[in-house]
Amino acid sequence: MPSSTSSSDFQRPIPALPWRGITVIVVLIIMAAGAAWEMHVRSLGYAPTLNDTEDLWAQARRTVQPESIVIVGDSRALFDLDLDELERGLGKRPVQLAMAGSCAYPILADLANDERFHGTVICGIVPGMFFAPGGPLVETSEKALRRYRDQTLAQRASHHLGMFLEERVAFLKQEDLTLPMLLARLSLANRPNAQVPPTFPPYFQTVDRERRTRMTEQCAQPGDLQTRVQQIWLPLFTPPPPPTYVPKEVFMANIGKAVEARFKDTVAAVNKLRARGGKIVFVRFPNSGELKALEDRLSPREKTWQPLLKGTAAPGIHFEDHPELSEFNCPEWSHLSAGDSVEFSKRLVPHLRSALQF
Amino acid sequence: MLFNSLTFVVFFTIVVSAYWSMRNWTARKNLLVTASYIFYGAWNPPFAALLFATTALDFWLGARIAGAKEPRRRKAWMVASLVSNLSMLGFFKYGNFLLENFQWLLAQIGIIYQPPHLDILLPVGISFYTFHSLSYTLDVYRGVMQPTKSLRDFVLAVSFFPQLVAGPIVRAGDFLPQLQAPPKPQTGRFLWGLLLMTLGLFEKVVLADTMLAGSADRVFGHGGPLIALDSWLGVMAFAGQIFFDFAGYSSCAIGAALCLGFHLKDNFRFPYAAIGFSDFWRRWHISLSTFLRDYLYIPLGGNRAGPVRALINLVIVMFIGGLWHGAAWTFVVWGLLHGLYLVIERLLRHFAGNAKWAESLLVQLVLGLATYGAVCLAWVFFRATDFTIATRLLTGMFGGHVQGDAILATREMLQIGLVTLCMFIAHWALRDIGLEQAVSRLPRWVVTGAWAFMACAIILTQGNSNAFIYFQF
Repeated sequence: MPSSTSSSDFQRPIPALPWRGITVIVVLIIMAAGAAWEMHVRSLGYAPTLNDTEDLWAQARRTVQPESIVIVGDSRALFDLDLDELERGLGKRPVQLAMAGSCAYPILADLANDERFHGTVICGIVPGMFFAPGGPLVETSEKALRRYRDQTLAQRASHHLGMFLEERVAFLKQEDLTLPMLLARLSLANRPNAQVPPTFPPYFQTVDRERRTRMTEQCAQPGDLQTRVQQIWLPLFTPPPPPTYVPKEVFMANIGKAVEARFKDTVAAVNKLRARGGKIVFVRFPNSGELKALEDRLSPREKTWQPLLKGTAAPGIHFEDHPELSEFNCPEWSHLSAGDSVEFSKRLVPHLRSALQF
Repeated sequence: MLFNSLTFVVFFTIVVSAYWSMRNWTARKNLLVTASYIFYGAWNPPFAALLFATTALDFWLGARIAGAKEPRRRKAWMVASLVSNLSMLGFFKYGNFLLENFQWLLAQIGIIYQPPHLDILLPVGISFYTFHSLSYTLDVYRGVMQPTKSLRDFVLAVSFFPQLVAGPIVRAGDFLPQLQAPPKPQTGRFLWGLLLMTLGLFEKVVLADTMLAGSADRVFGHGGPLIALDSWLGVMAFAGQIFFDFAGYSSCAIGAALCLGFHLKDNFRFPYAAIGFSDFWRRWHISLSTFLRDYLYIPLGGNRAGPVRALINLVIVMFIGGLWHGAAWTFVVWGLLHGLYLVIERLLRHFAGNAKWAESLLVQLVLGLATYGAVCLAWVFFRATDFTIATRLLTGMFGGHVQGDAILATREMLQIGLVTLCMFIAHWALRDIGLEQAVSRLPRWVVTGAWAFMACAIILTQGNSNAFIYFQF
């Protein structure tokens, strides 16, 4: 009878090859390929920057104190606000919780449900995103919240190691330079009837540990990249056609109900926050060009912005209402350049102070 | 802690360095126990206590089984081990499933019962480590092995971090003997282990997550009907994804163990080159299929109680195998479907005998493709979250949605086609010789190039660490 005191007979075969030599050459190839790729991406204009991951967001969320000023919203609140200027003007450094390609509502609801939080929320509004009934925009926010709630010790450790590397190596930029992104940009024609989402071109923004996000000069200056980014907004902001398997009237009725529910939920979240002494201000950030025309047509302010302010009885700052805020031009139609974001924030501060009665 | 994370790279480097720098074997084993509990506790520290409690109980029960003189008493201790392990698995994994089905049954006889939803967090890898531990008491009971006197050794056998959370299911009888004497350092074994880890990560990060997962998710997540091409490609993408995900984990586990001087058996042997379903189960998740064969099929009577009983036993085993994967009826149907395949195959073999014509290469290829096709049909139930999705997809696969949607981009279709084709070629080329033998025959520059290519592709892919699919089981 085999026993635990006998030695095991099973041995995996090991291929008889000169492993030391092979390993040395493999390491040299990896180092050479890594260095070549790093030099190539730097020649394209990339520099080391953090990736705006769920882990980075969770790290920012953990810094929220009971009386913090917190920014929630989509990429406009992320790109257009300068934390230094806001700190100077509001007396407190805000925590940046806005996320690119997200619906802000789940984050707002999370803060409203956080019993220890009674601070101030600056909530960026892009109606098409804030009132999105579901889908990727909502999932982005919910995934970040899940990571904040369920983040394991190992994930935290990986995040800190990752930041250490990302601040030193340019090719670690996930949104642009990973294999999936490079594959996604292969220009292969799709079948005429294929329902394929548009592919986002490389963006070239930089992110720091506080999630301050800045547009790079390559994107801020006129050129091919800027044009490509501009053109991607139009299909991205255009609502997809109703699915083929649901009658159009039913689909539209469901969307209407979902938007109505979002209005009600937002009012409830704002009331909950206020009941604890918290404050909130909604902000509409600038947009430009054909994108502005499209957004104005799809979500006119009298049907979205005004009912939101009326329903919540919360103050709102719409860039179009103030000449000093409306004179900015978004180079790629949706976000301010890094330089303009500082100036915009400076000009926004008096309005925030007034709205929040600071 | 995931193999495909930076934390693991640092953790493994520290553990391996410390392990090989220690001379004392006892100290090395203590290090591995500590490392394994850190590896597991990094997910959820309290569950490490549960892991230890299960292990300690089985260690104690193993000694009781071996010490009992009367067969009835031996059996009672073995039943105690079975009940404790399966109860824990049942509570954590099947608690809500059982309550929901109980509610449904009552509703059928007109009783409205609203059970409380148990907010149970499933301990990672519970299905695997329960089986690691259970194999010990069952083997002691069967007289296949004697119990170990060292709790520390048994704790290490159950919790050894390379195989702890997603297999292979390593039986105590295979692992404990390796703890008797320290392995000697061997450069070739260590570096081959590193190559296997690279291969495993390449399979997981590049092939499963990058090339296939997105398409599979889109097809299975689509809310409407799909045309046949997209339906098939989505299912093929999942067939590849689950293989590369799970086989990738197994390769990493085997490689990591080799780096530490331990030998784990194969868990996959090129399953998509299987000819027939019994062949498939000799190649897919081998540690589970042999576990179920030895501890369930044979005790049920196996082939000994006549052909009809053998077929029933097969179906029972596959039913349990399906349920082991998850608390959902879709998994049960997946298991039963495989049970049905095995029954049909046995009947065909019985009536057709060993026909000469079936041995030609062309027929073997056709049979292999037919096996793959049938396995893909079963994967639909495995991946679909409910029967509505599974039915809709199957209808699409058989041309029932001519006006359905096309949702895959040309790039995605090419990725699925290319990866599946390469996978087939590799599986058919290696099905009879195995990886080690094939590598031994390759020129050095090919091995060097392939290793460097895989490592560069992993670095280029990086990104968020996605959990392995089998963690949820």
